[in-house]
Amino acid sequence: MDSPSVVSDEADALPTSESRRSTLLARAPRKRRPGLEGAAWRRRPRSGELVWYAFVGPPFLLLLLFVAYPTFETFKQSVYEQVGTHQQFAGLTQFSQLVEGSDLWSALENTVILGAAYLAIVIPLAVVVASLLNRVRRGATPLKVIYFLPQLTSSVAVAIMFNYVFQPDWGLLNGTLHRFGVQSTPLWLADPRLSFTGSRAAVTILAVWAGLGYFMLIVLAGLQAIPVELYEAAAIDGANAFQIWWRITLPSLRPTFIFLLMTGAFDAMSRFSDLWTLGGPSGSPAGSLQSVVVFLFQTAFEAGNMNRAAAIAVILFVLMLFLTIASFQASLAREFAERRRSGR
Amino acid sequence: MTVTGRSPVRWVRASRRRGDLVSQLALVGLLSLGALVMLIPFVWMIATSLSREADIAMPRIPRLWPPDPSFFNYRIALQNLPLLHYYLNSIIVVGASTVGYLLFSSLTGYAFAKGRFRGKTFFFIAFLTTLLIPFETRMVPLYLLMKDLHLNDSLPALVLPFLVGGFGTFLMRQYISTIPDDYIDAARTDGAGEFLIFWRIILPLCTPALSALAILNILWRWNDVLWPLLVISDPHKYTVTLGLAFEGKSQGTYTGVALATATIAIMPVLFAFVMLQRRIISGITMGGIKG
Repeated sequence: MDSPSVVSDEADALPTSESRRSTLLARAPRKRRPGLEGAAWRRRPRSGELVWYAFVGPPFLLLLLFVAYPTFETFKQSVYEQVGTHQQFAGLTQFSQLVEGSDLWSALENTVILGAAYLAIVIPLAVVVASLLNRVRRGATPLKVIYFLPQLTSSVAVAIMFNYVFQPDWGLLNGTLHRFGVQSTPLWLADPRLSFTGSRAAVTILAVWAGLGYFMLIVLAGLQAIPVELYEAAAIDGANAFQIWWRITLPSLRPTFIFLLMTGAFDAMSRFSDLWTLGGPSGSPAGSLQSVVVFLFQTAFEAGNMNRAAAIAVILFVLMLFLTIASFQASLAREFAERRRSGR
Repeated sequence: MTVTGRSPVRWVRASRRRGDLVSQLALVGLLSLGALVMLIPFVWMIATSLSREADIAMPRIPRLWPPDPSFFNYRIALQNLPLLHYYLNSIIVVGASTVGYLLFSSLTGYAFAKGRFRGKTFFFIAFLTTLLIPFETRMVPLYLLMKDLHLNDSLPALVLPFLVGGFGTFLMRQYISTIPDDYIDAARTDGAGEFLIFWRIILPLCTPALSALAILNILWRWNDVLWPLLVISDPHKYTVTLGLAFEGKSQGTYTGVALATATIAIMPVLFAFVMLQRRIISGITMGGIKG
């Protein structure tokens, strides 16, 4: 059923492109200078292939120097250790020491908790805001701009701002709570416990505030890509607003959700700037804000152990690779399901 | 007859429009409430930065309007820190890396979309593979490499590693693939070389993709702190973001001055956004990826 349509498409496409080419040819001589006449009409030689290496070559060399070489070095350094002044092969010692210690695990735990909490809040919130925005007929643009503003503010600036927002005595948040008569206000960034008012909750609120605009924009683009016919058909069948939202809007947004979940997970895995600005290399208070990348930074540039840092980098690489494979599978599974449905 | 026949319809339409208006107002009201939550931290920051009192004692209940508005904190912030110098550094770094990134992305994108040469698939996969390697996994050897090249503490160190990337190549290749071959063939028959075609035909047709890529790259580079933190230690070479990261902390006891510093660091970016918002929003949606 597929092949005939492809053939007919090509049969349609060929004559038009051919005819367009001939009109361009017919017009061409008017533009050319007289002296060039003979050379310009000659067909380019086969060796014209070489010119493409001039396009690809210089960027490829940069790629080798600044991407391939350092990546290779990371892997190499992760199986060495510093003994005195020289490097000595150490096998998997760095990895086993990391796995046996508690620092890597607590950094991983922090990263996963912060990432999961962030995505669990920001995606549903973005869906609500985008669904509402999608129904606004006039004046949606200024609202979009406002929701998007924090996204353009560097995470360092956001972190500095929220350091004061979460200040326990007079910060914006606790101050507002005072205003409404709350007496025992939370400590936020000064409280390392895992609670809804502790340091990790505070940086999650910060991340949701900063990231909502981006997630909202992508969901909005997803909403606008849903064909109107689906909604019309559902309305004719007498579905109510909730049924339409549940049965049409949400399933149609599936690719958008996969995309957001995956890019969000990547960002969460490599989270650094705001956590470092607020908690420093040790992720204070009490290491509660030390993500994997902050731990990597601390190991390399505070402890000065480049080999250990390389091992952390390899672990990070493997985790990200798993995420990539998972996201590919999720989107491919979708593709196959689609094809099966259309084949039926 | 026609009048009486039409008027009930008109009445129904009008009432529906009224119902519509009410629900639209409710929608906008609800969303504005959310927008207020997004804006209040900014407003509070600016209000505090304009208040001298903020350096001595902050009010227990936050004010969204300074009791003693003055630019005192801004004068102090600019005296303490060469913020304008940091701005210059940031502009040089972001400008150079963005120009280079756009050029290399579109060069490789054109070659992979329209070129025919041996090893094309190999090169394309090589560029795509870099998407799988997060910057964080290679930053330590990259730092050591910069040290070996004696580029540490220099602005080129902030530019060079970011000139080429799999994302830009891929985006440009996808975009250039949609340009009909006829344009290129016509130019070739006219005797134009590939570089001339690239410069005169491909680049002008790529404006939407290029501006999307430029916006993303400017945001990434402007806001980056991790890499500058590694390679820059000389305060003369600080970017705005790096300067803010160091100094925002050290001025913490003077709340007003610290927040004035932060305001100086972010306001121009926000202002540029409000000016260019239509482009930026479509660019972000097109690229679909943030830094």
